[in-house]
Amino acid sequence: MKVVIAGAGEVGTHLAKMLSKEDHDIVLMDDNPDKLASISSEVDLLTITGSAHSFEDLKETGLAKADLFIAVTPYEERNVLACSMAKFLGVERTIARINNSEYLQERYRIKLDRMGINELIYPESLAAKEIVASIKQTGTRQLIEFSNGKLLLLGVKIRENAPILNKTLAELSYIDEGILAVAINRGGETIIPHGKDYILNGDIVFFITTRASQQKVFELTGKKQFGIKNIMIIGGSRIAQKTIEKLGDQYRIKVIENDRECCEKLADRFKNALIINGDGRNLELLKEEGLENMDAFIAVTGNSETNILGCHLAKSLGVKRSIAEVENLAFMDTAENMDIGSIINKKLIAASYIYRFTLNAEIANVKCLTASEAEVFEFIVKPNAKITEKQIKDLDLPEETKIGGYIRGEQGYVADGSTQIEAGDRVAVFTLPSGIKKLEKFFK
Amino acid sequence: MINLKLIFRVLGFLVLVEGLAMLLALLVSIIYKEDDLNAFFIISSGCIVLGLAVVFFTRKSSKKIGKREGFTIVSLVWIVFSIFGSLPYMINGYIPDFTNAFFETMSGFTTTGSSILRDIEALPHGILFWRSISQWLGGMGIIVLSLAVLPIFGIGGMQLYAAEVPGPAPDKISPKIKQTAKMLWGIYLILTVSEAILLWVGGMSFFDSICHSFTTMATGGFSTKQASIAHWDSPFIHYVIIIFMFLAGTNFSLTFSALNGKFIRVFKDEEFKYYISFIGIFTLIIFAGLLISQLYGVEKSFRDALFQVVSIITTTGYVTADYLLWHPFLTILIFSLFFFGGSAGSTGGGIKIMRIVILLKNSYYELKRMIHPHAVIPVRFNNHSVDSKIVTNVLAFFILYFLIFIVGSVIFTIMEPDMPSAMGAVATCLGNIGPGLGNVGPVENFYHIAPAGKWFLSGLMLLGRLELLTVLVLFSPSFWKE
Repeated sequence: MKVVIAGAGEVGTHLAKMLSKEDHDIVLMDDNPDKLASISSEVDLLTITGSAHSFEDLKETGLAKADLFIAVTPYEERNVLACSMAKFLGVERTIARINNSEYLQERYRIKLDRMGINELIYPESLAAKEIVASIKQTGTRQLIEFSNGKLLLLGVKIRENAPILNKTLAELSYIDEGILAVAINRGGETIIPHGKDYILNGDIVFFITTRASQQKVFELTGKKQFGIKNIMIIGGSRIAQKTIEKLGDQYRIKVIENDRECCEKLADRFKNALIINGDGRNLELLKEEGLENMDAFIAVTGNSETNILGCHLAKSLGVKRSIAEVENLAFMDTAENMDIGSIINKKLIAASYIYRFTLNAEIANVKCLTASEAEVFEFIVKPNAKITEKQIKDLDLPEETKIGGYIRGEQGYVADGSTQIEAGDRVAVFTLPSGIKKLEKFFK
Repeated sequence: MINLKLIFRVLGFLVLVEGLAMLLALLVSIIYKEDDLNAFFIISSGCIVLGLAVVFFTRKSSKKIGKREGFTIVSLVWIVFSIFGSLPYMINGYIPDFTNAFFETMSGFTTTGSSILRDIEALPHGILFWRSISQWLGGMGIIVLSLAVLPIFGIGGMQLYAAEVPGPAPDKISPKIKQTAKMLWGIYLILTVSEAILLWVGGMSFFDSICHSFTTMATGGFSTKQASIAHWDSPFIHYVIIIFMFLAGTNFSLTFSALNGKFIRVFKDEEFKYYISFIGIFTLIIFAGLLISQLYGVEKSFRDALFQVVSIITTTGYVTADYLLWHPFLTILIFSLFFFGGSAGSTGGGIKIMRIVILLKNSYYELKRMIHPHAVIPVRFNNHSVDSKIVTNVLAFFILYFLIFIVGSVIFTIMEPDMPSAMGAVATCLGNIGPGLGNVGPVENFYHIAPAGKWFLSGLMLLGRLELLTVLVLFSPSFWKE
C-alpha cells in the first residue's frame, strides 16, 4: 500500500516508522527539511520537502497512485485543505487531523466527505475518551471494551498482594475459564505469554474477560474497586475540556489552570467544574485545594514533566487513581516505571487509530496497549477466512500473537485452544508489531 | 561496538553473489570449450560453498546494520570481491602473480578500466567475459544489486545504500530502497541489452557486443581488444558507444523519468544541462584544434573529439585515438576532464558534475558576497537552495580529492619517476577512468608499474569508487571510539 503522510510531527513520524516496518511504501512530506533529514536516515521511506497545501508539492509525492493520504500537520485548516486537494489529485482515501469536535458531528460528515475528507481524527478527543474510560473503571491501568462491553480487556498492575502472583497461565485457566492473560508488560518489554509463563510482581498483565468474570479478575489480582467522586485536573488543555465534557455531572471536578483567560473560558463553558487559577506545580496550592481527598488526579498540562511530577505527588499522598499525559515518547518507559498510575499519549492513540486504515482485513477496532508495544485488533471474520478452517491450537498462529476472545451473536467468549472461529465472529487478537502482517493473512 | 559477526554474515552473502556471477563466466567457457573452464568451476563453487558456510555459521547475528557496520561492509566488500575475483586470472596462469591479478580485478570492479594486460586477444573468452562482467557488477554497485535481490538487507539497507551511493543527491525513485534498487538495475539492464543489440547490428561479434555493452554501461572501459574501440573502424559503432557512454554518465533517475515519458523534467534538470554544456564546449574546442592541426578529416576529427571527451568525462576510458599525439593544448584539455566525472546518481566516477557546479556557483557567489556583505545568497541548484551542510560537504570532498591527488602524485613519483605519467596514473585511478598520461597513456598499459605502485593505485581506485569519505571514515579515530 502506498501512503502519503503530510506533516513530520510526532504523529506523522510515529506513523511513518510503524508503517514502513510493514512493507508499505511511505512518502513523508513536511515544509521543514531538518525534520525530514533525521527520519530519512533512520527509516526506509521517501521524504519530500514541500507544503501540504501546494498542488505542485502534493503532485511531487505521487499522490495519484497512492491509497491513503494522511494530513497530520499541526494546523487543522491546512489538514482539511490538504485532504481536499489530495482527493482532487486522485488519492483513494484521506484522513485529516482536526482540533474541533464540530466536524465530528454526523450531520456534517457527508458534506466533508464531498469535500474529499473521508476520515477525521481528533487526537484530544480520543485521549479524553481513554481518560474517562479509566476513571469509570477503577483498579485497572487500561480498559478496552469490545462491542459495547461484551468482551473486556483489563490491564492490571500485579503487586505483592495478588493471589495469582508467581502462578503460571495454565494454572490461571484452571481457576477460571473466563479469564485469559493475553499480554504482559515486564520491565519495559512486552511478552505475548503462553501456558508456561509466570506472572511476576510488577508485571502489568492484560486480561481478556467477560462482564461475568470481570469481578474475578479484581479478586485474583488483589484489586479493590472503589467509587470515584472527586477529581482534580491540572491543565485546562483541550484534552481536559473534552474530558470534563465526557465525564458529565456525576463527579465533583476541580480544574487548576495557570492562564487567567483560559480559566475564564473554562468557567464559562463548564458549570459542573470548579475552575482554579493557579500553577499546577505549586504544591501548597494543590494541598490547599484538597489533593489528599481526591479520588482521581488527571494531569494534562502541555508539559510532560509537570504531569509526571504531579501524578507522582498525588500517588504519594494517597490518591488512588492518577493519569498523566506524557507526550514525550522518550519519557514513556521511564514514566511507566515511576509508579505514577496510568499514562496516556495522544500521539500513540492517534497513530493506532489511523493505523487500521492501512490494513486489508476488515477491522472494527485497533488499540495500542498503554506502555507496551502490543496492539489489540478487533477483526470481523469474513466467510472463508483462513482462521475459520481449524481450531485455534491447530492454526499455526505466529508466536507473537494470541487470540483473546470472540463475540458471537450477542455473547462474548474467552478463547481457548479448542475454540473454533466462525464467519461473522468479531475476534479480539493481540499481537506485537512484527506479527501484524502474518496475522492479516488469517483474516483475509 | 562494531558487530563483526554481522559484517561477516553480509560479506558471506556477497561472496555467494560473486560465486553466482562467476557461473555466467563458467557458462561462457563451457560454450567456447576453452581451458579456463576448470578455473571458473573451482572458484565459483568455492565462493558459493564458502559464502553459504559463512552465512550458516553467522545465522544468529543480529540484523540491525548500523552506520559503522555499513561503512565497513561497503569498503570491505570491494576488497573481498577483488581478492576472489582475481583467482580465475591466476589459476591458469593468464595473470600469474597476485599483484597484477588483484590490480586488474580491482580496476574491473571499481569500473576504472586500467589494465596490466599486454595481449588481451590471447585470453580465453571466459576470462574476457569475467573481466567485463566484473565491471558491470561494480558499475551499478554490488550493494545496490544485493539490495534488490537479497532479503537480508531489509533493515540495514539504508546505511549500506547511503555508504555506497554517497553522492550529493542520492535520489530515491521509490519510497522503498529495495524497489529503488530494482528499478535502477532494471534501467541498467534495459540500456545494456539495447546497446548490445545495436553493437551487434553494427558489426561487432555477438560476444564482443555483450562484453562492450557491459563495460560501457558501467563506465568501465575494459575492452576485449588491445586497441580498445579503435579496433573497429566503424563510425556507427563509435557513435553508438558515445550515446551509451553519455547515458551511463547521466543520472539514472533522469533516465527513469525519460523512460516514463517525462522529458520536460530531464531538460529542466540543471545538472543535465551543465553535463551537456561541458561536453559540447570541450568537444568544440578539441574539434577545432584537431581541424587546425589537420591530423584527420572533418568527420573523423569531430568523432574522435566527441568520443574522447565523452569517454573521459563519463570516466569510461575507451579510446579511439591516442590523445597524447595531439597538440599539448588539447592533451591538457583532456587531462582537465579527468577531474569532471559523470552526473550524480550515474555509474560514472570522478568528482561529478553536480559537485563541480555547486563549487563554481559557491565561488561565484563569494564574489557577490564581498560586495554585499549582508546579502543572503544561497547556492541554488535546480531552483532549490542547497543546504549549507551539503555545500560544506562538497567543499570538503573537493579539497580531499585534490589533496589525495597531489600527495598521491608525489608519492607515486618515487615508484614512477616521470611526472606526467605519475600524475596521469594517480588521476586516472582516483577518478576511475582508465587511461592516463605518459607511459600509462591510452595505448599503453600498467604492466610496467612496480608492485608497490600497483597496490597504491588499487587503493586509489577504491577510494575514488566510494567517493573518498566512505573509505576515509574508517581511518578516523572517532569511527573506532565508543
